[in-house]
Amino acid sequence: MNKRLIINNNRLFNDFGAKVNRSKYLILMIIPAIIFYIVFCYLPMCGILIAFENYFPKKGIFGSSFADHHGFGNFYKIFHDDEFWTVLRNTVIIGVSKLLISFVAAILMALIINEIRLRFFKKTFQTIVTFPHFLSWVIVAGLVFNIFGANGVVTKSINTTLTQDKDFFLVILYGSDIWKEAGWSSIIYLATMAGISPELYEAADIDGATRLQKIWHITLPAIKPTAILLLILSMGGILSAGFDQVFNLYTKPVYEVADILDTYIYRTTLKTGARPGIGAAVGLFKSVVSFILVIMVDRIAKLCGERGII
Amino acid sequence: MRKFKDIKYLPLRPKGSTFDKRVTMMDWFLFAFMLVYGLIIIYPFYNAFLISISPNNVFNEFLLYPKHVTWHNYNIVFHKATLWGGLRVTLVLLFVGTAYQLFFTVITGYALSRNKWLGKNFVMNMILVTMFFGGGLIPYMQLISKLGLYDNFLVMIIPGAIDTYNMLLMRNYFASLPPDLEESAKIDGANDVQIFFKVYLPMSLPMLATIGLFFAVGNWNSWYNAMLFIKKEEYYPLQYVLQQLIQETASNVDGMAQKDAVSEGFKMASVFFTIVPMMCFYPFLQRFFVKGLVVGAIKG
Repeated sequence: MNKRLIINNNRLFNDFGAKVNRSKYLILMIIPAIIFYIVFCYLPMCGILIAFENYFPKKGIFGSSFADHHGFGNFYKIFHDDEFWTVLRNTVIIGVSKLLISFVAAILMALIINEIRLRFFKKTFQTIVTFPHFLSWVIVAGLVFNIFGANGVVTKSINTTLTQDKDFFLVILYGSDIWKEAGWSSIIYLATMAGISPELYEAADIDGATRLQKIWHITLPAIKPTAILLLILSMGGILSAGFDQVFNLYTKPVYEVADILDTYIYRTTLKTGARPGIGAAVGLFKSVVSFILVIMVDRIAKLCGERGII
Repeated sequence: MRKFKDIKYLPLRPKGSTFDKRVTMMDWFLFAFMLVYGLIIIYPFYNAFLISISPNNVFNEFLLYPKHVTWHNYNIVFHKATLWGGLRVTLVLLFVGTAYQLFFTVITGYALSRNKWLGKNFVMNMILVTMFFGGGLIPYMQLISKLGLYDNFLVMIIPGAIDTYNMLLMRNYFASLPPDLEESAKIDGANDVQIFFKVYLPMSLPMLATIGLFFAVGNWNSWYNAMLFIKKEEYYPLQYVLQQLIQETASNVDGMAQKDAVSEGFKMASVFFTIVPMMCFYPFLQRFFVKGLVVGAIKG
């Protein structure tokens, strides 16, 4: 009796050690990842402190003094800065429109590709429309400037540089986004459509449904969960609004409508090296709002009976 | 009245059904759309190509075919040291960077795909948080300086070690493989590292190729890190060299005053210098890309 108790005690005592021993190789494999995430993701999170300081790189994070207004001086400044509100408005407009436009474009593209009946056409078309995804925005911007830029083909015939036109710039932004990404984003929906049971379509045939009715009543409901999941996932990126794209396409005359948070941070603080505190404050604002957005959309989706992500 | 030959097909192929071979309005619409949209995709490339083979003063007209053909611009491109230097940097990134990213992403994905081990949930949550929250650019910039990576070649490689999205993709893939393999290997006395390298890795080569290709494309197209952190011109990757060429005249307000120091033709020839390798490999690699996306979609 006594002996057994002691053995049990030992086992309890050694349980932790045994667990470590059992999983030591897996732990070994995960150590690089832990180091990586701590260094490149969590240390910058500590760097959020910069947003509350009059930061000077030479003094370091812990040497710099706190900003006025109980440390909220940087936020006070940006919220009283008209340029910030312009930039924020641009970001929301561009982010939301791009999200919706590319969402709809991808689904339409998938429906169209799915309806093409000749296999050869389908494959060729898909190959062509997917290709631009693999080019960087640097190159796409070059191609756009050839057509709408200062020396572009269209510019010569209508005598306006559309990439430098405040009213038209956003159209170029959305258009180039569709041009580059619609084909690629449609693949995910096409994969879902391939998984729809053909029996559903056969049953619809017998009921005398037309092709449009089949799309509306079978295909669209089938891709709905995927679509909602993707919509939620992209919600977090609204305030990012595509730095690469905007940065490569915009020019000084359109800053007023095209400048987004990321380009604003880059232009005003990174490039000049001035006011890192302000830049960090804008960055923190962006991170927090994005995070809240993701959580909110996830909750809403769950309330509506869809599968969330968190 | 239906004709006899129609009746023969009628029961099996009702109008509008999958087996109805008749060409309808919708097919014509689809065909027209394919044609128009296909041309919209292709025209910018064709236009760029025309510009690159035109003499420098006739580039801005709408042309269906080139009036004068000159290979002068390509001649300059092939003798331009900055482009070749950029290509060299990009190739290093392409091979070293891709191998590096693949290694760390895959072992992390594997470790997270295994059943219970101590601290797995903690690590998993720690990683997921980073997908939705980050410190922002300025703290990251300060970190890079503190680590001594500023203006260092390694800054274009090291911070990319693990791509969370692709890592989760890999994890889902490993988790979908039968667990019996692991158990039988365990009984034979293999440890987790051996099981990974000898059992699971050989089984997942297609998936590895897919993710490797994503990384390779990312590295081929990378310019952002270089723009932020690299000041030495000999470390500029190809895309960044190109970015500077293109941006140089983009902000030019009245296009007429542009000097021909960097001509449009030369720029477009450089663009083709970067697109052509992609165009050559793309048709062969397409199915890998599609596969990777699909696996991520359905399991994710």
